[in-house]
Amino acid sequence: MANETQHVRLHGLSHVFADGREPLRVFDDVSTGMPRGQFTSIIGPSGCGKSTLLRIVGGLLEPSAGEVRIDGARPRAAQRRHDIGIVFQEPALLPWRTVAANVRLPLEIDGARRRGTDVESLLDLVGLGEFRDYYPHQLSGGMRQRVAIARALAVDPALLLMDEPFGALDEITRTAMRYELLRIWASQAEAATRKTVLFVTHSITEAIVMSDRIVVINGRPGRIVADVAVELPRPRTQEIERSAPFLDYADHLRSLLVGAVA
Amino acid sequence: MNGRLRGIVRGLVTYGLPPAIAFAVVIGAWEAYVSWRDVSILVVPAPSDVWERFVDDPGYFWEQGWWTLYEATLGLIFGTTVAVALAIVMAHSRPVERGLLPLAIAMKVTPLVAIGPVLIVIFGFGTTPKIFLAALLCFFPMLVNALTGFRDVDPGALEFMRSLRASPWSIFWKLRAPSSLPYVISALRITYPLALVGAVIAEWFTGNRGLGYVVYSAAQNLRTPELFSAIAVLALIGVAINIALSLLERRLLFWHESVRSTR
Repeated sequence: MANETQHVRLHGLSHVFADGREPLRVFDDVSTGMPRGQFTSIIGPSGCGKSTLLRIVGGLLEPSAGEVRIDGARPRAAQRRHDIGIVFQEPALLPWRTVAANVRLPLEIDGARRRGTDVESLLDLVGLGEFRDYYPHQLSGGMRQRVAIARALAVDPALLLMDEPFGALDEITRTAMRYELLRIWASQAEAATRKTVLFVTHSITEAIVMSDRIVVINGRPGRIVADVAVELPRPRTQEIERSAPFLDYADHLRSLLVGAVA
Repeated sequence: MNGRLRGIVRGLVTYGLPPAIAFAVVIGAWEAYVSWRDVSILVVPAPSDVWERFVDDPGYFWEQGWWTLYEATLGLIFGTTVAVALAIVMAHSRPVERGLLPLAIAMKVTPLVAIGPVLIVIFGFGTTPKIFLAALLCFFPMLVNALTGFRDVDPGALEFMRSLRASPWSIFWKLRAPSSLPYVISALRITYPLALVGAVIAEWFTGNRGLGYVVYSAAQNLRTPELFSAIAVLALIGVAINIALSLLERRLLFWHESVRSTR
């Protein structure tokens, strides 16, 4: 892969949490890249540092060693350009704002480039057009997470970071949301100009269904143990979960995650 | 009867009747005890004596009550403004917090009403010492609550705003200030009555108006029905303040679980 196609690059990232009694090395020497427009999942057991890794890529945390480059610059520069959208496990909406006002929040932040984002059509895209004037406490968990996704998309960022976004949802909603997110992602633009997605999960099914590529992290401290390209045709529907190639990927990933520290 | 009216009646019976009965029992027992033991009106007047004194000249008590409420409210506004302004600075600077919090705590553990006489020396006999004492009593609970409120923000929402390089200013107005509202309003429930205490006590020491002055001079002259009338008006003011704050809370905090769970 030529370097200029890499949207995000990680060079020898290590991180140590030093505020505990004993310094805790969460991951060590992580180097990889994410091509523009690809959907990459990071999968690993809890405690392998995948959420920390995502926060470092998003510029919310400085790594102990190594560096992150987004379009060749530090994450800070991408933050300033409003080129990063983040979705966490909890929707983290502002409870005093309506759905529409929550989605509008990033556009009110100083220096926002008003890229002509239309809140209405964004709400339609995530299937919440009729709920624009509702408050978060009037919505279900899945709907709140849709709002969080719309909010992250409001500044039209080139990079979308998602930290187990469906982890707090029930199984039924969770399954539906996976395909919803794929639909939203695919609707954004032509394949070549799609958003680069970095998606953290500990669900094998989720990783295969969503991704072009899966980075497997394991061990303590976490290290990249495998980098799996998922060559399943898109658009993907739920039938794919019963196909033979899907099951092969699942077996392969399971074997890579065996021996994961509990 | 339509459904809405029936709902109101049921609400009144469910929530209004028990306290009304409790109140009536206490007043009745008081009245009965005073007449049974033939307690002197100079020591404890019967509720009927208090009522008689009150209806004799209700305007007098309302006017004095108005002064006390006025002083307490100005003190509350003054104390709250300083406390919130300081909390904003402290929320953004740990060194400032570390420097000022011990001072504030020292203020808190001091029985501030003891400052009353000194305030007269400093500010004289006018309205200022009353406002000042009221403000002083309001200060600490508001400072601590506002500070906690500014810090108690949803960590995900904070990180989301930071990922877009939001300025501290914008994080404050869009996130910290609204997040602190539940804390500030519950602080007001504590500080408004405290402001009333401050105003009343300052009126004991100085001045010629306000319910504190009425209480003090009535006690000096053994006009006990007048004294108890003044106390009853103070209690009414306190209840009115509480109701007003509840309404404000329901209006402003419709999104907060404390309000939603009582709906």
